[in-house]
Amino acid sequence: MTYHAFLIAGFSLLLGLAAGVVMHRADFCIAGMFRDLFLTGVDGMQRSLLLMIAASMVLLEAGRLAGLFPAMQVLYKTPALTNLLGGILFGIGMVLAGGCVVGTLYKMGAGRFPSLLAFFGLLAGSVLYAEIHPVWMAWTDYLKLPVIGKTLPVHLGLATTPMIFGLAVILAVPLWRWLRTGAMVRPSVVSGYLQPWKAALLLALIGVAACGLLGSPMGITTSYAKMGSWIEQLFFPEHVAGLAYFQNETMMAVERFGGGPLSGGGGPRLDGVVVLQFPLIAGIVLGAAASAILLGEFRLSFRLPWRQALSAVLGGVAMGLASRLAPGCNVWHLLGGGPLLVTQSLLFILGLFPGAWLGARLFVNVVLR
Amino acid sequence: METLKLDVRNQICPSTLLVALKEINIHQAALRHGTLALVVLSDNRDSTTRIAEAAENMGYAVTVDKEGAHYRLTIAGRSE
Repeated sequence: MTYHAFLIAGFSLLLGLAAGVVMHRADFCIAGMFRDLFLTGVDGMQRSLLLMIAASMVLLEAGRLAGLFPAMQVLYKTPALTNLLGGILFGIGMVLAGGCVVGTLYKMGAGRFPSLLAFFGLLAGSVLYAEIHPVWMAWTDYLKLPVIGKTLPVHLGLATTPMIFGLAVILAVPLWRWLRTGAMVRPSVVSGYLQPWKAALLLALIGVAACGLLGSPMGITTSYAKMGSWIEQLFFPEHVAGLAYFQNETMMAVERFGGGPLSGGGGPRLDGVVVLQFPLIAGIVLGAAASAILLGEFRLSFRLPWRQALSAVLGGVAMGLASRLAPGCNVWHLLGGGPLLVTQSLLFILGLFPGAWLGARLFVNVVLR
Repeated sequence: METLKLDVRNQICPSTLLVALKEINIHQAALRHGTLALVVLSDNRDSTTRIAEAAENMGYAVTVDKEGAHYRLTIAGRSE
């Protein structure tokens, strides 16, 4: 392992640990925030999510202007309607699984059995994608938007910085009112509770630190494909070797610490994905586990109604598949692409709303029937 | 007073909340007359708030206690 890769892996682990603790303490469940829009309405959780996006927007642009990291838009692809379809399927999956891809990790770390099932579903869904990759790429080419560039300001012919700070000022008005009136405070009596609005600010800081230290916004889903391909390779090595998706290499991160840009893919080999994403995943799980153990709340139990067990697995499969279709997960788009005004991320986020609505309907009417 | 225990530990959110609300509705007469208390065991940190908020909005008194690795919510009719 080179010096620069060692540094990146170390920072990735530390950022993951911090994110795991923060998300567990605040129970910062992004899947729940979207789902509850349709089940229980708007409360402090959704307002905190908006705060996280607004703070990320300002911090990412300020970090770029300060020269802490180059523009991250380069890591995102050109927009296509398939981003929207990926968002819809991801929204369904995250509700059925009871957590998004990072929600699954922090809940699994805290000892939640449904999240362990969702984790295995994520691996299966990611591997499933490799079977349809060529067809999906053809559709993505066909459904590409007839626009130049990757971001909304470029499409609109506007300067990026004024547009980002203009949007931030518009969002600051309701956010300031909610903070002042206490509408973002969640009444809670659980041990070691971290208010979601504080968690939102901390996660925005962690997200911008990831850009500075790792050369990429937080993302973890290529790792699921890689883990899945390793398992599949044990049983069907020739099949795995023949799948185009597993041979692909995509840029993972811009250059950091003089080691060149990290690259890698979902195939079963040691590459930049292992350096960049595996420590982040381990960190989130371990951070949440440490938080739960310190609070005396870590408890393993395998008791679960069978409908919910099936829901967790299928939700995981849907999320794993969707995160490759999109491509990327909600954190990649909500903490990175959305605040950067990347069009494919905005399409993905738009898709999360109908997806979460459908997921909530399915959960209430089928899973809890 | 009779006690009805509902163990929703380890379940996927929002079933924790929805199952609790369903039981409150089924037993609302006994809960309001003070002849029954519903005890919900939950290990979902956020659902302790959600269940308590929903039950209090419906006019019940709710107490939340930590009990080992989980939380114990006691839902009963208000005395006033």
